[in-house]
Amino acid sequence: MTGLLAIQAPLTLLMSVVAAVLPLTLVFLVFQWLFLRLPRAEIVRLLKATLVASAGLYLFLLGVGVGFLPAGAAIGEALGKTGSLALLILLGLLLGFVTTWGEPSVRILAEQVDTTSGGSIRATWVVWAICLGVAVATGVGLLRIGHGIPLLHVLVPGYLIVMIVAWRGDSRFTAVAIDAGGVATGPLANSFLLALALGTAAGSGSSDPLVQGLGLVALVALAPVLAVMALGAAIVRRTPPEREEP
Amino acid sequence: MVGPLLDRARDTVKAVAPLLAVTTVLLVALVPPSVDLLVRVVGGGALVVVGMTLLFLGIDLGLGPMGRFIGAELPRRGSIALVAGVAFAIGLATTLAEPDVLVLATQVARASDGAISAGWLSLLIAAGVGIFAVLAILRVVVGTSMRVVLLVAYGVMLALSLVAPTPFVPLAYDAGSVTTGVLTAPVVLGLAIGFSAVIAGRNAEEDGFGILGVVSIGPVLLVLLLGMVLQ
Repeated sequence: MTGLLAIQAPLTLLMSVVAAVLPLTLVFLVFQWLFLRLPRAEIVRLLKATLVASAGLYLFLLGVGVGFLPAGAAIGEALGKTGSLALLILLGLLLGFVTTWGEPSVRILAEQVDTTSGGSIRATWVVWAICLGVAVATGVGLLRIGHGIPLLHVLVPGYLIVMIVAWRGDSRFTAVAIDAGGVATGPLANSFLLALALGTAAGSGSSDPLVQGLGLVALVALAPVLAVMALGAAIVRRTPPEREEP
Repeated sequence: MVGPLLDRARDTVKAVAPLLAVTTVLLVALVPPSVDLLVRVVGGGALVVVGMTLLFLGIDLGLGPMGRFIGAELPRRGSIALVAGVAFAIGLATTLAEPDVLVLATQVARASDGAISAGWLSLLIAAGVGIFAVLAILRVVVGTSMRVVLLVAYGVMLALSLVAPTPFVPLAYDAGSVTTGVLTAPVVLGLAIGFSAVIAGRNAEEDGFGILGVVSIGPVLLVLLLGMVLQ
């Protein structure tokens, strides 16, 4: 089956890359024609870069399809078959952590938080909070898949906590926390975790992989929000409410 | 172009290497030994590194600036209808180009044996982002606080997920999570910040924060609603 995927992929893939990049380029060109009127050289440069991005997207999707998706599915299937509680949690923690640790966008967000908070929230703390959040989410997510726990039993309490903190807590911290959910996992991590989750669902003998296997990525997006909110609460508790001069 | 290319390449290797290493170890430890799969992972890993480097470079120099140019120019045009229309188009277009969305859509299409079409799912997710990008822009105009918007949107989302048919719930939340990726985040954020900067007296930074959270609710709601309609 995986062999078929690799043979069939290139042409279909090319079409989906074109379908993906074309809309934004068209919107931009219409805008350029109506309002922007940028110099021709600038347009040529932008279009060249767009071609580079398309080639990159193509190679990325090809590489993911050839290597990471089948590998994630195979590991997930082996995991699901063992059904071992400890193994699901441990590997989830490990995989969640390593997929986030190297993510450039996490570092960028952490630096931003460091700067906007005037250094009172260190960048390293934010990175650790997000990585640990994703690690725990992946552990819980795999456990949920392996043992058939409904997604809502995890998501509803999680979002209720987010809502309560958003309602009562420091609003600037809330906003940063909510953005943290969007940056935690890049395209590769999301793809790999998705394949891992679908594989685990298949391996644990789930009748409907879509119901049991999906939802991991959602948990991985929710966890950093909670982790950064917890970090915020811890910092607010430690420092007096008035701003201190350093 | 060489400087940024090397920077990007280094970032990509840093992001991919840990996952590649752990994947290889797990494959050897857990899965019946298969040289084929190991070769695929290493080869695929190389493709992914080259692909991501080029993709990020192209976003930095091409797709990203395109979005930002529109974001900077748009608010000066005054007409809210125009701003809303373009925000929808931008949200839709950037989401369609998001690699995570493509991967989710194809994986779901495969896992459902084609019952769910990849193209339509991508379009639905993208429409959700477009609609909520419009809402985020309107919020800046009306001046409702982000807190209220988030609370209402989350409340509706949770309520709907309790009512909607269960098979659609995990798909809906995953669809919401993959939207705010490498392309949508900077462009939509840039659009909102540019817009709120033009509306005098607004703190652009405060207006921008939290918008990604709002935007990713759109696809969740649309997939849940679709589930309820199909039921």
